[in-house]
Amino acid sequence: MTLPDYRFISAPLWLVTILHLLTLTLHLAAMSCLLGGTLIALWAGVRKQWSAPDAAGLARVLPAATAATVSLGVAPLLFLQLVYPRQVYAATIVSGWFWLAVIGAVIMAYYAFYRTSFQAHRTGQVSLGLLALAALGLLYTSLVYSSVFALAEQPDLLRALYAKDQSGWVWNPALGAYGLRWLHVVLGALTVGGFFVSVLGRKSPAMAATGRAAFVGGMAAAAAMGFLYLVSLDTYLGPYMRTPAMPVLLLALALALAALHLHSRKRFGLSGLCLFLSLLGMVYLRHVLRLVRLRGSFDLAAWRIAPQWSPFLLFLVCFILMLVVLVWMARLFFRSEPDA
Amino acid sequence: MHYPFWDQPIGYGVLMAVIAVFHVFVSHFAIGGGLYLVVNEHLARRDGDTARLAFLEKLSKFFAMVTLVAGALTGVGIWFVIGLLAPAATEALIHNYVWGWATEWTFFVVEIAAAMLYFYGWKRVTAKAHLTLGWIYFVAAWLSLVVINGILTFMLTPGRWLVTGDFWQGFFNPTYWPSLVLRTGVCVMLAGLYALLVASRLAAGDFKARTVRQAAGWAVVGLAVTALAQAWYWKAIPAEVTARALETMPTSVRAIVLSLWLAAALGAVGVALVILAPRRFGTAAALAFMALGMAWFGAFEWSRESLRKPYILTGYMYGNGAEVALTAAYRRDGFLPQITFRTGDDGADLFRHACRSCHTLDGYKALRPGLAGADRAYLLALVQGAHLLRGNMPPFLGTPREAGLIADHLYQRTDHRPLGAIYQVEGLALGRRAYDLRCGKCHAVGTASDKAKSLAGQSAEDLSGMLDMASSLGEGMPAYTGDAAERKALVAYLQTLGQGGKP
Repeated sequence: MTLPDYRFISAPLWLVTILHLLTLTLHLAAMSCLLGGTLIALWAGVRKQWSAPDAAGLARVLPAATAATVSLGVAPLLFLQLVYPRQVYAATIVSGWFWLAVIGAVIMAYYAFYRTSFQAHRTGQVSLGLLALAALGLLYTSLVYSSVFALAEQPDLLRALYAKDQSGWVWNPALGAYGLRWLHVVLGALTVGGFFVSVLGRKSPAMAATGRAAFVGGMAAAAAMGFLYLVSLDTYLGPYMRTPAMPVLLLALALALAALHLHSRKRFGLSGLCLFLSLLGMVYLRHVLRLVRLRGSFDLAAWRIAPQWSPFLLFLVCFILMLVVLVWMARLFFRSEPDA
Repeated sequence: MHYPFWDQPIGYGVLMAVIAVFHVFVSHFAIGGGLYLVVNEHLARRDGDTARLAFLEKLSKFFAMVTLVAGALTGVGIWFVIGLLAPAATEALIHNYVWGWATEWTFFVVEIAAAMLYFYGWKRVTAKAHLTLGWIYFVAAWLSLVVINGILTFMLTPGRWLVTGDFWQGFFNPTYWPSLVLRTGVCVMLAGLYALLVASRLAAGDFKARTVRQAAGWAVVGLAVTALAQAWYWKAIPAEVTARALETMPTSVRAIVLSLWLAAALGAVGVALVILAPRRFGTAAALAFMALGMAWFGAFEWSRESLRKPYILTGYMYGNGAEVALTAAYRRDGFLPQITFRTGDDGADLFRHACRSCHTLDGYKALRPGLAGADRAYLLALVQGAHLLRGNMPPFLGTPREAGLIADHLYQRTDHRPLGAIYQVEGLALGRRAYDLRCGKCHAVGTASDKAKSLAGQSAEDLSGMLDMASSLGEGMPAYTGDAAERKALVAYLQTLGQGGKP
């Protein structure tokens, strides 16, 4: 009996790539609101810039932002594992304990957010200690993600590290390959978090000002860090420049600036849309860079494509239904008044 | 074989169990608990029962904390762990079922959003809107089970998929429906157990008695559904799988028997609670009841996982990641060419990929103590006849040279002094040790492969002669390679076994 071969992709690659990039952008948007919002709340708390109700208002939405970040993070990781299993699993195994500890770090952050949220609801005060604990958990998680996924793009280093140590306690030593990238992600989160805080606290001058400052400052710093990261690509820079990356980079930058401009005009909806599209552009750039770094060891075109259309259609219907139900529930929740 | 091997000391089974067992409890509770909340809210609102509404609001807070945080993240945790422990199987599952998982994700997102809105909505939205959110939560959570159940059951009974590779044939496999009913029953049962735990902290009185009776009723109904579905589930598994497990896996069989006893105890206590409806029902009793339920479910899950042995994907991939389809290539070229990540120590690499998925040297399913006293020739025979040993192990599919490398690797790490020197024993005690080492790996006393009866009436000379020709007695029987002192003691012990264990 000939057994089925599992080495195939069950939809055209372009479709999987679109889904991956789109869901990853959604995840990063939620993550950036969460991480950036937390860092900004900590900063404002330490400097006593906000009133207690303002701080409590932000604290109360952080558990929801965590839920959104976690649940939106599942799909992009699934699509990533579908297309790049050899790279992703290998890197996570070599750093196994650090990777697994992400679960503990996020659980810790999640409970810290809930605790802060309940405390804010009960007493009107926000615990900076709990916020700091949550921020630590999130920063650890983002650092591990940067480290592991950078390692996934360095097959030779991966093999060499494994040959020396099989215990799962290997931390990616090539800091140059992901340190700047991680800082870029954190600064990007600060940018999006600044936008989020300024919109959430638009009725509070202090909160809006802090959010705006983080939005503008974060964007400038993230752009500078992104430029440094680009320069640090060294031998990859040339091949990267010869991809469609550059026009997309310029477009993403233009969208980011448009977001700033629209934000200053208080057109938050359009500003948010520009920011999201800019983030989508950055995610695309990341995708192209991965392919450039993997050249010679991995070829996307080598995948056998064997579409499973009926399960895909089921997913598509459920995905659309999910969006409809989410919007409908939000309307139900925010428009409904309690019974007298 | 295309992945590095995570060589951690805890053991794969233990690590998986720690995260999976916790998640399985929480995830089933998340579904049943949602149903419990919304049904009771409906009844309470209909009856204007404010005490019950207050109770449910309190219940929902802990429920949200457990399901939203621990439930959701340990679910992701399982995914992380299977990718670390069994990357090849995870890859195979994702390639076949990515749209199943993606569909499950859409339900997961709705479930999480609805749970949050339900929890925050008690005093914020209308009663009707709140109930609607509750029902959306429950339906999304249950649909998530509907999807994941297809992938989970596929691993044990892939059915026609092995021939056609068709998504739906693998998804709606022979155990899909019984498992779905069984797990739905478990959800209801766990919801009842949890409600009992919360109810146990209420002030003694009529309300408490009513709540205890109702919650115990949920537990009993859930258990009854589960019990019926479990029988159906067992029958849906191909007979050769269950027969093989009953014959070669005494521990798993004991887990099944234990689960039946626990289910009976659970049912009896539940029925007693429904009848007596105590006005006083302490937290300790509720916790004990909860522990009983979890022990039962844990025993069931353990036996289910064991039934799959020697495979991780039945008929398709062995527990150590070796692919059935590549058997000929393994036999011809060996494992080593397939191992992408090498360390320079071929014996260690082969040991990791062939054995370490299940065994550690000193921890879970430890090899070092069990192989103490073995000589290299016997170790080689064990490696080459692994599939014949107790415990439903996968066959070693590599070349004879590779089997030798594993035997060398083990020999260098085990104590090969005579058994008498290792354990400081002699006589029958030494014979028993020799039996455990050289015979019990297959013919454990009291199991289906116990050959004690065939030894009845045989003289010491007969038994010694049998040891001389051991390698010709049956497929995979190794030659006797122990020393003379152990042989003498072993013969004496075999004689006692032939006499029903009486020296």
